[in-house]
Amino acid sequence: MELILSTVINGLSLGGIYAMIALGYTMVYGIAKMLNFAHGDIIMVGGYVIYVFMAFHNPLLAILMAVVFCVILGVVIEKVAYKPLRGASPLAVLITAIGISYLLQSLAQIIFGSANKMVTVYDFGSVTFLGATVQVSALVTLGVTVIVMAALTLFVKYTRIGRAMIAVSEDKGAAQLMGINVDGIITVTFAIGSALAALAGLFYLLKAPSISSTLGAMPGIKAFTAAVIGGIGSIPGAMLGGLLLGIVECISYKITVIAPYTDAIEFSILIIILLVRPTGFLGKKRREKV
Amino acid sequence: MKHIRLIALAIAVIFCVGLFAGCGETNYAANNTEYVIGLSGPLTGGAAMYGSAVANAAQLAVDEINAAGGLNGIKFKLIATDDMNDATKISTNYSSMYESGMQVSLGSVTTQPGLEFKNLSADDNVFFLTPSASGDDIPTNPNGFQMCFADGNQGKVAAEFVNTNYAGQTIGVFYKSDEAYSKGIYDQFKTNLDSSINVVETTFTEANSSDFSTQIDTLKDCTFIFMPIYYTPASLFMTQAKDIIAADGVYYGCDGFDGIDNIDGFDINTIPQEITMLSHFNSKATEGPAKEFIDKYVEKYGASTLNQFGASAYDCVYAIFNAMKKAIDGGKDIPVTISASDLCEILKAEFNGGFTYQNGVTGENISWESTGYVNKGAIKYIIKEAN
Repeated sequence: MELILSTVINGLSLGGIYAMIALGYTMVYGIAKMLNFAHGDIIMVGGYVIYVFMAFHNPLLAILMAVVFCVILGVVIEKVAYKPLRGASPLAVLITAIGISYLLQSLAQIIFGSANKMVTVYDFGSVTFLGATVQVSALVTLGVTVIVMAALTLFVKYTRIGRAMIAVSEDKGAAQLMGINVDGIITVTFAIGSALAALAGLFYLLKAPSISSTLGAMPGIKAFTAAVIGGIGSIPGAMLGGLLLGIVECISYKITVIAPYTDAIEFSILIIILLVRPTGFLGKKRREKV
Repeated sequence: MKHIRLIALAIAVIFCVGLFAGCGETNYAANNTEYVIGLSGPLTGGAAMYGSAVANAAQLAVDEINAAGGLNGIKFKLIATDDMNDATKISTNYSSMYESGMQVSLGSVTTQPGLEFKNLSADDNVFFLTPSASGDDIPTNPNGFQMCFADGNQGKVAAEFVNTNYAGQTIGVFYKSDEAYSKGIYDQFKTNLDSSINVVETTFTEANSSDFSTQIDTLKDCTFIFMPIYYTPASLFMTQAKDIIAADGVYYGCDGFDGIDNIDGFDINTIPQEITMLSHFNSKATEGPAKEFIDKYVEKYGASTLNQFGASAYDCVYAIFNAMKKAIDGGKDIPVTISASDLCEILKAEFNGGFTYQNGVTGENISWESTGYVNKGAIKYIIKEAN
């Protein structure tokens, strides 16, 4: 029982992080129709900003600065690298995104060196209930994730900008004709995605107080997997996919025999989903006009 | 169309020339004015502490030897290249050193790149004595020797320790399943463990080496955890587990734990549990060659990279120096322009022929088996007592 409880909590908190990153992927895909593979590295940038501002020993300041910095960075990347390519072939955009990813990683390595940096943002300690001991940071992560997701869902459903986002993702041309500033909406999407990535960076540091230039690489790919499993372009899908992947990962690590193959198992799920249900769990089926 | 063919032909020719260039029996050492020792190690990256320690200590030994007049007046020169603990960097590092006249080598600092280094050096017949690449497969070619304990040996010694102290109890094991170093020690540990001991084991991989909450949860009832892993993930595990694992618990590591008390941003005293490692070097020694080495090293490079890897590298340089000296005293000719292959034959004959390195920093009478494994004593070194 306690084993199940602690595994589920750890899985949900890890899944929450994946979900938060996956939201960035899925929103950008839904609205700009591009896979922003540099998204994972925004997590790393967020982590380093926290590391730098933790010199002032004020976690809240560090978190705020990380969010602000990542939002600016996300918007700048969109304006400089992606906007000129609007209308270019998807492959060109994809390659640009991968290039940005390497650029960010290399810059981080030049500035901070390649050795891991240790930074303790805040030590929440751990708590025992119903016989299961878990790190409080896992519960905090889970709680914040739920709040952020709820807020985001409400934002998209009930605000003007949110509804404009839905409109752009449904039909960019029609939205533009209705007077929606499509470029503005894409910028907002990148800003929100980057802010979420900064939070994901924070949660990684709460889990394990160590940061390196490749911190965002694996979570980025996992979150992309989560977004596809849930149905890329779908916000609830990204949440579902993220949580599912987190739980699968934690259960897999619990079973000694299959633990070394955890990554393979997660990516196998992706392959199976792509074969059986290419649009993911919550993705909309679209009839392609030929 | 014609142009494309021409370009393709040109490319093919260029690549073929490149291939054959590697095949010649060139003696790159022909223009040497000093004996050149090569070394590849992680001078940056997650295992940088090891590479830096080895490069520093090897340089210290080389400087001392040169200050004392070298070998019959011929001085030594160390070339240290950075591989970031990445096996794919070895090929470039090795070629650049070999073409710069490397005659003898300290091999690679860590195991995974070391396996690559071993293959390349076997092709050219370059002698290496590695201070710290502890993989069981590292010295299996006749030109390779180790100064550190092989992984299998570390696993065996650790298992014997557990058999004696934890008979009939439950212990935890935490290792990295996709790393030769960690898996190698673990396999031998498991083989040599008594069946009376109940083992709870859990693993992690390179891609997922920072969040250990699931693994900690698995091991939370263990009071003795064997961790044949490197210091960076170990420190992360300990930080995350400090309130969950029993405060009087013991973390028992191998040489990969060395330097865990010198990580920037990680205060070992915030960890309540005991941290112990199996070692061949006592970094708190108060007498003997170890003490002399510590004083010299700290004076020149500071205490932050003082560890057994450096101590071992220092011994490696002197062991090679002594073996060369012994060969010359025995009538062999070692000119400064000797080819790596010729020097390799001479050193192999010495190391296989009963050469003993006395009064080393990492052991008294150090000798080698014909397989390349080292013979010397091990010590249990407590890095930090339980609070």
